[in-house]
Amino acid sequence: MQSDYIIEMLNIRKEFPGIVANDDITLQLRRGEIHALLGENGAGKSTLMSVLFGLYQPEAGVIKKNGEVVQIHNPNDATALHIGMVHQHFKLVDVFSVLDNIILGAEDTKMGFLQRKTAREKVQTLSEKYKLAVDLDAKVEDITVGMQQRVEILKMLYRDNEILIFDEPTAVLTPQEIDELMEIMRSFAKEGKSILFITHKLNEIMAVADRCTVLRKGKCIGTVNIKDTNQQELSNMMVGRPVQLQVQKGPAHPGEVILDVQDLTVPSKTSKKNAVNHVSFQIRAGEIVCIAGIDGNGQTELVYGLTGLEKASSGHITLCGHDISHSSVRKRSEAGMSHIPEDRHKHGLVLDDTLENNLVLQSFEDPRFQHMGFIRRDAVRQYAEKIIDQYDVRSGQGPVTLTRSMSGGNQQKAIIGRELDRENPLLVAVQPTRGLDVGAIEYIHKQLVAQRDAGKAVLLVSLELDEVMNVSDRILVMYEGEIVGELDPKTTTVQELGLYMAGAKRSGKGENRQ
Amino acid sequence: MKNTLLNLYEKDATKKVLASLISILIGLLVGVVVVVIVGLSKDTITAAGIWDGVRLIFFGILSKGRNAAGQLVWGYNAQSLGNMLFRATPLIMTGLSVAVAYKTGLFNIGAPGQYLMGTLASLMIALGIPSTNVPAGLIWILAFLGGCLAGALWGAIPGMLKAFLNINEVLACIMTNWLAANLVTWAFDVSNFKNVLENTKAGYIYKTSYNGVATPKLGLDKLFPNSQVNGGILIAVLIAIAVYILMTKTTMGYQLKACGSNRHAARYAGINDKRNIVLSMAIAGCLAGGGAALYWLSGNTEFYWSTYQSLPSIGFNGIPVALLAVSNPIGVIFTAIFMAMLDIVGQQLTGLTAYNEYITDVIISVIVYLSAFSLVIRMLITGKRRAGASNANAEPPRNDPKNTEEGGEQA
Repeated sequence: MQSDYIIEMLNIRKEFPGIVANDDITLQLRRGEIHALLGENGAGKSTLMSVLFGLYQPEAGVIKKNGEVVQIHNPNDATALHIGMVHQHFKLVDVFSVLDNIILGAEDTKMGFLQRKTAREKVQTLSEKYKLAVDLDAKVEDITVGMQQRVEILKMLYRDNEILIFDEPTAVLTPQEIDELMEIMRSFAKEGKSILFITHKLNEIMAVADRCTVLRKGKCIGTVNIKDTNQQELSNMMVGRPVQLQVQKGPAHPGEVILDVQDLTVPSKTSKKNAVNHVSFQIRAGEIVCIAGIDGNGQTELVYGLTGLEKASSGHITLCGHDISHSSVRKRSEAGMSHIPEDRHKHGLVLDDTLENNLVLQSFEDPRFQHMGFIRRDAVRQYAEKIIDQYDVRSGQGPVTLTRSMSGGNQQKAIIGRELDRENPLLVAVQPTRGLDVGAIEYIHKQLVAQRDAGKAVLLVSLELDEVMNVSDRILVMYEGEIVGELDPKTTTVQELGLYMAGAKRSGKGENRQ
Repeated sequence: MKNTLLNLYEKDATKKVLASLISILIGLLVGVVVVVIVGLSKDTITAAGIWDGVRLIFFGILSKGRNAAGQLVWGYNAQSLGNMLFRATPLIMTGLSVAVAYKTGLFNIGAPGQYLMGTLASLMIALGIPSTNVPAGLIWILAFLGGCLAGALWGAIPGMLKAFLNINEVLACIMTNWLAANLVTWAFDVSNFKNVLENTKAGYIYKTSYNGVATPKLGLDKLFPNSQVNGGILIAVLIAIAVYILMTKTTMGYQLKACGSNRHAARYAGINDKRNIVLSMAIAGCLAGGGAALYWLSGNTEFYWSTYQSLPSIGFNGIPVALLAVSNPIGVIFTAIFMAMLDIVGQQLTGLTAYNEYITDVIISVIVYLSAFSLVIRMLITGKRRAGASNANAEPPRNDPKNTEEGGEQA
């Protein structure tokens, strides 16, 4: 008897000491459907998938495949049931070729010799069939993130998997690559493969999924047909309260010029071209200026040049009337610059240090926090408690929690608290909502607008079109290291913005220089 | 009561100590296995001899030799204990050297070279300034500071190469080690400090007591009569406490650790990462050089100057000392004393049983290196807890498995 469902996880319960990670969760995946699994960070999505992969044994509940109960004790069992997964962080061997990565673990051998030729033919057939263009002989370290993801997908196909799990697959992709991925997922579904799509991006779910199961705090809130729902309903289910998807803000009242950048040029590390090429712009008090653009068009380097992490080869930067073109990071920070960095793990936090130490990362030499070179532990603790309270930073042990053990959203809140509390006239916020769930994004957007309304100048760098359109007062589009246009979010459309971002359209030089 | 114990067990510090103790036990047990195997394979060693060997491995520090009947006698042995503290002195210093660098994210395998440069400077000063003109106490201080400074300079070289040219500090340290070995040999070869008074002593440098310079005993000779111990052990312990305070209580230690655990974040925050890397290696070198000074200025040690083919094991042994102490400066005091105890045990084995000095060296080395396994043991102890914890926290917004995973990859 053929069951409607290819995989069913029925009434799964998984407990950890002191906590129920999955409480009576039922997830039924139909043959040939794209099924989204939606939930905030920590809602139990990963635990549920770990149960499906045999990494954890559930306390209660059963897993069925084609209507028959199966036991999954380890990942090998899952593979034998043709369940495959593309992890959020790819599991590839950087120095191996694409082909070797695809066949790794499922090598076809004859008398102990690897049968690369038959493997290559099979991979090529798959790659053509699903339009998954990859260079089989390139090394993984040399190919783009988008291609790496295609390699991961080919890995699943090579193993004849029929249940494909995508864990936050779009986090690393450009808008164009996202569209391609959606197309690929649809073609898989048409083929009769079943797709489980883990995400917290609502628009992607609306675009591609057939049904969606929402988890919240370890409980299954429900499964809905995408046809019968909308983004607002989904986000309310996920967060458990009405969420403002639209940013509420009044008109901006720009004041005097806070940051004046003239002719800034930052050399590229990877090529001879300039990553930032003679860029000029100004930001005034009380406005949010957003740098938009597809990832890799010089935004990162622009921020590095502004904040002093990298040396600019020419140009002038004036902050509140001080020339900081050649100042060190610390001098710039003292001149009035706060910086929410793009990569909170790389730059934002010392992950192996405590929360309180991280909160004074820039200001530990302030007389408030040290006396004759000795840290005033009490003062640091008090300050940390203040920030934790004010910005609602949740952690296991308060000020002495290792930041590594905190969730992404709370790590980001800690950084935001630290940067905002320094009360600098300029805030540089680089992708401040990356990888965060709806509730946290809402919170951060509110904070940015509050800064603006308090008369601060905010430079926001974002790759998310929604964020660009909703939060900013003025948009500067970067393409190949240059500012190719200045747009007003109130009068422009996403389509027009997209044309600028793709380099298909640009305004004249004069406008560029203002 | 049970809960208090459980809470204690859950503490990270307890786990670290426990892991180190288990490693030591494993090391000792494997040492016993080697003793038994060697004993069985050699006709000259009887069953009683093997049993003596096993007991000495564990309790050698409390051995008082053999009595008239040829049986091992046990008890408080002031001489052994004193010598143990004497040998622990330089080990504390090289252990601190490795630990400080490790806290800053650097692996200081250059302690032997820094130790040699400290040896060179301190001996040259101690023997070179005539005590007829300058008070011996002042010479001692100058020699000690000279040793520290020479070590610091020697440590700063790989530090600078790392900071400014991004050359791996391990490679640079290995090179500077051999540079030091040859430099020191050359310097003493052309010096006039070679011991020519005692013609049985070819290849040695004069004891510093020849110039009247020696570390004061500070009463320790009364406590441990007939041993080599002197005030150096107290200085080393004080320095360990000072390093602990430096690393945990000061802004300098805060910066060093921040650079060590995340150089990018340090730069982002405006901390001068290059300066801190050089500083860390200089402090590490200073400690190793100071360790050499404390050892050679004792007045009863003689330096074998033709060292160009070998590096001092005291320098390398700083590595297991630091590992076993999980880079905790206070822990280093105890692990260094443990390593020094093994040294004494080795002597007892050689002196009191038919095991010769070569095989005792093997046995002691096995114990030393297995003891340094504490990191592995710690992973085993904490491993179970981590698997649970990453998900125990999965639910409330404080912690979720995905983030633990992200963090893990950063590590």
